[in-house]
Amino acid sequence: MLGDSRKAQEVFNTTLREAAVRAVQGELPKEPFWLFREARWRCLEASKTDLQPEALEMDEQDISPQAASQIKQLEPAQLAIWISAAPDPQRTALALFYLDEFDYLEILDIAELKLSTLSRCLAQGRRQLQAWLDAKHTGAPKV
Amino acid sequence: MRTLRLLRRRRALLNCAPISQDHLTDRSMRAAVPREDGSDEFLNQQNFDRALAEVVRLVPIPPESAEWFSEKDAIRAPRWTWRKIVLNPAVLAISIALLVIAGVFAFHLVGQLNDFPGSATARKLLTVAGSTRSVMLDPVSAEAGTLSDLFFMKHGLEHYDVPDEFADFQTIGCRVFDDDESQRIAQIWVGEKRMQFFLFPAERDSKTGAVLTFPGWRYVHQEGWVGAVTEHNGVCFMAVLRGREKDLEPYLSGPKQ
Repeated sequence: MLGDSRKAQEVFNTTLREAAVRAVQGELPKEPFWLFREARWRCLEASKTDLQPEALEMDEQDISPQAASQIKQLEPAQLAIWISAAPDPQRTALALFYLDEFDYLEILDIAELKLSTLSRCLAQGRRQLQAWLDAKHTGAPKV
Repeated sequence: MRTLRLLRRRRALLNCAPISQDHLTDRSMRAAVPREDGSDEFLNQQNFDRALAEVVRLVPIPPESAEWFSEKDAIRAPRWTWRKIVLNPAVLAISIALLVIAGVFAFHLVGQLNDFPGSATARKLLTVAGSTRSVMLDPVSAEAGTLSDLFFMKHGLEHYDVPDEFADFQTIGCRVFDDDESQRIAQIWVGEKRMQFFLFPAERDSKTGAVLTFPGWRYVHQEGWVGAVTEHNGVCFMAVLRGREKDLEPYLSGPKQ
């Protein structure tokens, strides 16, 4: 979500501390995803001060049958940075879907999105990633 | 329009299709995925997602964070408590429906248990008792037991006998009339607790014509009136008063049901 392990660790610690305080006070929310929702808001809050990604039109490509082999050549850190650079709510959608492997109902709950928005974010994310992969492999970045 | 909306929703669901088939927990998703399972587009999407998930799993997690998720699941599955199950609208609706069905069944069962041959006529006569005024009867002052001769001599009614339990009661009046099934009914009014007696033909088997007998006394109730019925020699006798069973009980002897 943040593309910065130090900040991510900070958010993680703050969120857990908050959970511990609430647990001691007996105010731990009963909803199952509140910890993730809390963490998401803290991530968004933490990234507010960062340089924001420019709102530029990214290239999109249909998913190719070779995509799987292209992805296998990716460095995990590269992917993490690519996701963290996406604008929200796409960043949240991609992070929850790929990093945490939540199902769509859980993502709708955590990110407070509509199904159509989540669907658009994921589909667009895939096509943009495919375009990025194509550009990486042909060596001519289009993004 | 509706079809278009459904197609759009299915497309949206497919875009969110889980990476692993184990996560197909939602019914809408379970319905949407198999329809597209064979298509190239969906196959590419699934391969893309799986490959991406594999790379994501390789993203290093700092050890101090990793220890929090070592073996345990971070999300606790929602627990089903008895309270939750009971308050579930579907369970609640089914429970109420079952209770209503059980109630209706019990009502019919109790009704049938109280039924006996002639109970329908007896209930109709309780209504007659409620609407009868003493002036409607021919004044007769005698012991109720002696009226069987009058019924036989004047109206040709055989075995219209008042049982011994009520034979000594002093009558105020009596009459004989036909009911809506053309059955000859004898009605007697006595002074004791403004009680009324009815004598009517016992119910018969529709095929054989044999009298359907029943032992002892049976109670019937209708709109605040109670009747105790017994059968003898093919004729039913019913003692009626306004009140409850316990008001009639002291007058009855032998087995009561």
